[in-house]
Amino acid sequence: MQIGDKEIQFDKDGFMKEPGIWSADVAQAIALEEGIEKMSEKHWAVVNYIRKYWEENDLAPPVRLLCTENKVSVREVYKLFTSGPARGACRIAGLPKPDGCV
Amino acid sequence: MTQTERPGNQTDVQKAMKAFVSAVRKLGPVHYQSCVKCGLCGETCHIYLTDPTILNLPVYKAEQIMKIFRRYYTFLGRFLAPWVGAQSLTKDVLESLVETVYGRCTACGRCGLHCSIGFDVSSVIRTGRTMLAEIGKVPSSLQAVVNNQITTGNQMAIPRRELLDTVEWLCQDLRLEMNNDSVIIPVDEPGRRILYLINPREVKFFPLSLLAAAGIFHAAQESWTISSRFYDVTNYGLYSGDDTAAAAITRQVIDEARHLGVEEIVLSECGYGFRSFRWEGPNWLGRAYDISARSMLYLIWDYIDTGKIRIDPSRNPERITLHDPCNLVRWGGVSEPQRKILKRVCMDFQEMMPHGADNYCCGGGGGMLSMSEYGDRRILSGSLKAEQIRASGARIVAAPCHNCADQLLELNKKFKLGVEIQSVTEIVYNAMVLEMAEQSEISNSDADDSFNVTPSV
Repeated sequence: MQIGDKEIQFDKDGFMKEPGIWSADVAQAIALEEGIEKMSEKHWAVVNYIRKYWEENDLAPPVRLLCTENKVSVREVYKLFTSGPARGACRIAGLPKPDGCV
Repeated sequence: MTQTERPGNQTDVQKAMKAFVSAVRKLGPVHYQSCVKCGLCGETCHIYLTDPTILNLPVYKAEQIMKIFRRYYTFLGRFLAPWVGAQSLTKDVLESLVETVYGRCTACGRCGLHCSIGFDVSSVIRTGRTMLAEIGKVPSSLQAVVNNQITTGNQMAIPRRELLDTVEWLCQDLRLEMNNDSVIIPVDEPGRRILYLINPREVKFFPLSLLAAAGIFHAAQESWTISSRFYDVTNYGLYSGDDTAAAAITRQVIDEARHLGVEEIVLSECGYGFRSFRWEGPNWLGRAYDISARSMLYLIWDYIDTGKIRIDPSRNPERITLHDPCNLVRWGGVSEPQRKILKRVCMDFQEMMPHGADNYCCGGGGGMLSMSEYGDRRILSGSLKAEQIRASGARIVAAPCHNCADQLLELNKKFKLGVEIQSVTEIVYNAMVLEMAEQSEISNSDADDSFNVTPSV
């Protein structure tokens, strides 16, 4: 995928191979694949939170923090990101694929 | 991934050979020498059907193992190896097995079910995994999950504090949803009747199934608890082929159940977790459990059948179809309770074709879901399941397996199926009616001398 002057590469699960070169444009491009035409304020709040948490902890945040810190209900998260928090929201936030059953 | 490592040395070959001999003894040599090469298995394999190259043919995959067997276990193989296509075990052979046994087989077992002579094709293929696990050649993404389970007690390495916080958070939501402040999710309570095991995915990313289970337990007035230390129903040792790790993971849970003094272990909806714990575990440990274990589906059916929970199917008016997880249904033998449940809790239940023990794998089994290197093949091989779902005309797919649920979510997106994926537990919770007695309990919950509520049966 070409974003601006950067070539973005993905693994076969669609997660970024180099999470470091993530940007808002990349997020919107992945979101489009997720069926999100234009990221809303809520989408951004969740995605930015995930990104920040990952940069600090090298881990995807648990869904509890995602909800309580951004004042969204868990059912709302699945509406915002139909592939769920991991393959949906974390992927848009440019994280590598979390381990295990996701 | 592991392919970048150098092939093993002679010691690795010897270790792999030892694992091979032990695996042959466990499964039985008959499985390694009965194949008549009829090729019928090709018609049964979702990977071969969606990409018909010989490399994907089940008999071809099994043959990579069977020719090693011939080399060491048969007279002709020993003395005239090239004539009978026997193959010595070498580091190159081991290296070439990685893709075959991890990347081209989900160990779903459909080939074995339809095999014209009934040998267990996918378990023969799994022998390759056992050998590779012995020499540390498990794909790193898969091995990371096994390591998490061994070192932290759960596959996603969720800290204990996080589990406790999540349970508390869910409990608050559940109280609001059930309009009842007395609802609790018991953690580490000794002496309860049931220890409920969950998939860590329910804590980290998809908590609605745990919330639903807690709601059902509350309504049924069940005596239950989860553990904050060993609550993981899954066992990635089954996938990696590492029987020693698999035994250690099983032992953690059994010891915890004994420590808490429960009567029964109930397994949440997880296909390979069920197969591992209910059927493979005693083999790995080398002894029978002294505690019973069964799927949550049986328990839910008991609740519905005995009237412990009341159901209003009109709350699930849309058409629901049912996915049969290979490890739960074909391998685990749990086929009936989920069907009886769904027929009672929704208005329009539609089977897929084929279904039950003859189902197709969703493509995400065998650890495939956690090995990104085979992601394309995983989606392609799931196209059969996607077609089945579309043909059912359903709006909701009940998936009694968290692993399958993730793959089905992917298929939903890639093939634009427009369905929702839910666990059976969630669908039941959605249809549950709170008893009048229960509701009067809510209004009386502050009065400590209130009557002891018994549900009407």
